[in-house]
Amino acid sequence: MIPILCVDDSGGTMFNHRRQSQDRLLRQDVLAMVHGRRLWMNAYSLRQFQSQPEAPITVDEDFLAKAGPGELCFVEGLPLLPHMDRIEAVILYRWNRRYPADTYFDLPLSTYRLRETKDFPGSSHKTITKEIYTP
Amino acid sequence: MKPLQKRLVPLLLLLCLTLTGCMDLLPPEHTSVSLEDVPAYAGEPYVAIDDNQPDFSEEDLTTESFESYSPLDSLGRCGAAYANVGVDLMPTEERGSIGQVQPSGWHTVKYDCVDGKYLYNRCHLIGYQLTGENANEENLITGTRYLNVDGMLPFENLVADYVQETANHVLYRVTPVFEGDNLLASGVQMEALSVEDGGEGICFNVYVYNVQPGVVIDYATGESALEDGATAGEGEAVTYILNTSSHKFHYPDCSGVANMSEANKETFTGSREELIAQGYEPCGQCNP
Repeated sequence: MIPILCVDDSGGTMFNHRRQSQDRLLRQDVLAMVHGRRLWMNAYSLRQFQSQPEAPITVDEDFLAKAGPGELCFVEGLPLLPHMDRIEAVILYRWNRRYPADTYFDLPLSTYRLRETKDFPGSSHKTITKEIYTP
Repeated sequence: MKPLQKRLVPLLLLLCLTLTGCMDLLPPEHTSVSLEDVPAYAGEPYVAIDDNQPDFSEEDLTTESFESYSPLDSLGRCGAAYANVGVDLMPTEERGSIGQVQPSGWHTVKYDCVDGKYLYNRCHLIGYQLTGENANEENLITGTRYLNVDGMLPFENLVADYVQETANHVLYRVTPVFEGDNLLASGVQMEALSVEDGGEGICFNVYVYNVQPGVVIDYATGESALEDGATAGEGEAVTYILNTSSHKFHYPDCSGVANMSEANKETFTGSREELIAQGYEPCGQCNP
């Protein structure tokens, strides 16, 4: 299972049960990674992907428990620690901005190794940083 | 101005606006949060109030953009600023100068312990990135750097991104909260609700503290002093963790450090002023 998350400068992910931000070009980047793999998310996340109806998305409220090896999971506001032993890699998008937060990314990244990083411009974000970590 | 005249000015203004049919240019009457209901500042720049639910009336849920600002009161203080933020209100050019405006309680004062040194900023009630208001005295209050950058800016970013990405509207109201006749606001109440999706995208009601860690403020006048025992930090060697990608610096025990990429992490021992001079900003969570 490979979780995909977005975080702000303080590691925040959500505020008042709502995502901090979204970006059309980030979603394109996510979909470009699918390559025939299954992409899981919940109904809340699906609503921001609805403009791409052809995307191979599987919607399930318990998707973190159901996702299999090599499958991608777009995660918003859900704890990952309970699933840590099944995580094969983490794909982190950094907004490089500050937002209010009351929910935070909960994995200890210091125990992971950064394998890849790239910056790209978003549709409403000057620079988004994409990082790929492995245990 | 004599006290009686001071009291008459707002009444005459109200009468003029009523007679000229301009009442719809003013924000609707709104009672802000009571300071008695706000917990004392405890290290976080803002606190959720009323379970994070804003207090907008249903008739304001419109898909037409608008913005309105309250006239200054007899003490020269701002009132509520209210907008229905849409893409059409957002600025298309860089912000202009606002230095000519002197909001109530204004002092030009510097401390080494403040990011950028200046204690006070001219804080837009409705941020420039949302409605493009420049030097509008009805939209600028005296606010600490901490209120401006750590408190208000994250909420403005939240709303700006949402409007830009969805082209939806966000009802947005910022109300400065003054105690008695104080010239400096104790804080601001910020409320927002996304219109087209009924608040699914944006919904908050928060109080943001007009404080500055390390500085004591007299809210009656805006006068200030360093806290007893606090140093200006000049030359004081402290160990910080730097994020060389985001250019933020943190205390070593900050939770942001645990989530930081090892490739971007650097340890630094020295003064925070040296780091700020190098272009680094203090983390908004641990406030080093």
